[in-house]
Amino acid sequence: MAQRLVIPIGPQHPALKEPLGFRFRVEGERVLETHIRMGYVHRGIERALQERSYIQDLYLVERICGICSHIHTTAFCQGVEELLGVEVPPRALYVRTIVCELERIHSHLLWLGVIGRDAGFETLFMYTWRDRETALDILEEISGNRVNYAVNTFGGVRIDLTSTQIESILGRLDYLEEQAHYYLKLVTSEATFVVRTHGVGYLSREDGRALCVVGPTIRASGVDRDVRRDDPYAAYEDLPFQVITTTEGDALARTVVRVKEVIESVRMIRHALHNLPEGEARVRVRRRIPPGEVISRVEAPRGELIYYIKSDGTERPARVKIRAPTMANMVAMPHMLKGAHIADIPVVVAAIDLCIACADR
Amino acid sequence: MPARTLLKKLKEALGEHIGEAWVPRPHRAFFTVKREELHDVVEALVKRFDIRHLSAISGVHTGEEIELLYHFWDYDVCFTVKIKLPRHEPCIKTLTDIVPGALLYEREVHDLLGVEFEGHPDLSPLVLPDGWEEGHPLLKDWSPPEEG
Repeated sequence: MAQRLVIPIGPQHPALKEPLGFRFRVEGERVLETHIRMGYVHRGIERALQERSYIQDLYLVERICGICSHIHTTAFCQGVEELLGVEVPPRALYVRTIVCELERIHSHLLWLGVIGRDAGFETLFMYTWRDRETALDILEEISGNRVNYAVNTFGGVRIDLTSTQIESILGRLDYLEEQAHYYLKLVTSEATFVVRTHGVGYLSREDGRALCVVGPTIRASGVDRDVRRDDPYAAYEDLPFQVITTTEGDALARTVVRVKEVIESVRMIRHALHNLPEGEARVRVRRRIPPGEVISRVEAPRGELIYYIKSDGTERPARVKIRAPTMANMVAMPHMLKGAHIADIPVVVAAIDLCIACADR
Repeated sequence: MPARTLLKKLKEALGEHIGEAWVPRPHRAFFTVKREELHDVVEALVKRFDIRHLSAISGVHTGEEIELLYHFWDYDVCFTVKIKLPRHEPCIKTLTDIVPGALLYEREVHDLLGVEFEGHPDLSPLVLPDGWEEGHPLLKDWSPPEEG
């Protein structure tokens, strides 16, 4: 009979770059129970948003996350625009969408490197982080920044795309697509990777639904759910794309879904650039936001991101509630780790693609 | 299914439980229920309509009351069930027995607004530090502790 032990890991630890505390109750090499302690990067942002003006809040929500910063401002802007009742010019919606998808590409490639490293396949990490630079270079070229692009504003976008930029982006998209196809072949055929991820961190369709899991994690468990298609925002209604799903529900399936999403994103950006509407990229809006309440939803790289904004007619919001996708997926982690090998913990944790800064706010 | 159709269907099935109901725009619906009926209504959503996805719980302190908004996602509609709790007795039955995905959302509302969820398996601090005794930061009358 193997001895039962409790292993504390974190909040500072080698597997994740962000602080998260774990306590694993184990028997021999198997995990029996997982206890998670979050809150180490809780900055009280929801409270801080109530104490600042809407325009100051726009810059604060961009800083909730260092990877998916643009998606937070997209959700916040479209919520405020709905309260204002303004119609955003189509060109602005297209630019917003293009940046959203570029962000998805760089986020997914970053993650692919992380899971590669955690699965003991560091070459993948080297390759994907090299290619992620291509996406970051595009973002830098059009916005001036690599991560916090400050593209969105109330009533549209702060940047516009020139025809030279469009040509330059199109050229680099071909490279990204080619590489994504290569990664798809690599992760499904390279034994080093497959053996570490196949059947690891399994989540069934029923459990995933009951635990209200979102994003690529639930799509890899066979649930066809994507805000971009189900509740279209920005320019997504005009763009042809497929919602990628698969039914295996393990870490390998989550990898395949994300790599295929990179390919879809490249195609969406290409379509958007070829069909970019002419006209203004922003309209001026009033400073005073009328009273009301809205729910703004978007599909962040990690899944459904939801903002609830309540205005009482003053210059500051009465309440902004943010539920980041990691918060929704965190609850499934103890479930996926039940019965797992201790050596598989990093792979299972990484496969969800956690963003602790988003979850803690 | 358009938001109006969904709301109509829910009203037909749960008529007496649903208070005020409105559809502010396509893909969105709201309705209010009494706090003692919330558990039954959500149980019906899960068991009779197979609506299982709770997206979030938003808590808002509005003077004498604390409003809780339960945001659900059903295909193309995001609908919100609204309840009101008195500020000085903010307690409600937990939903974790029927919607396990509510585990962390309820804990967060407990931390930040002091709402007690009866029957929740573990209401230990989620985002606040251990041993925090400075109150609930999202209450309007809360102010940060003096530094030093």
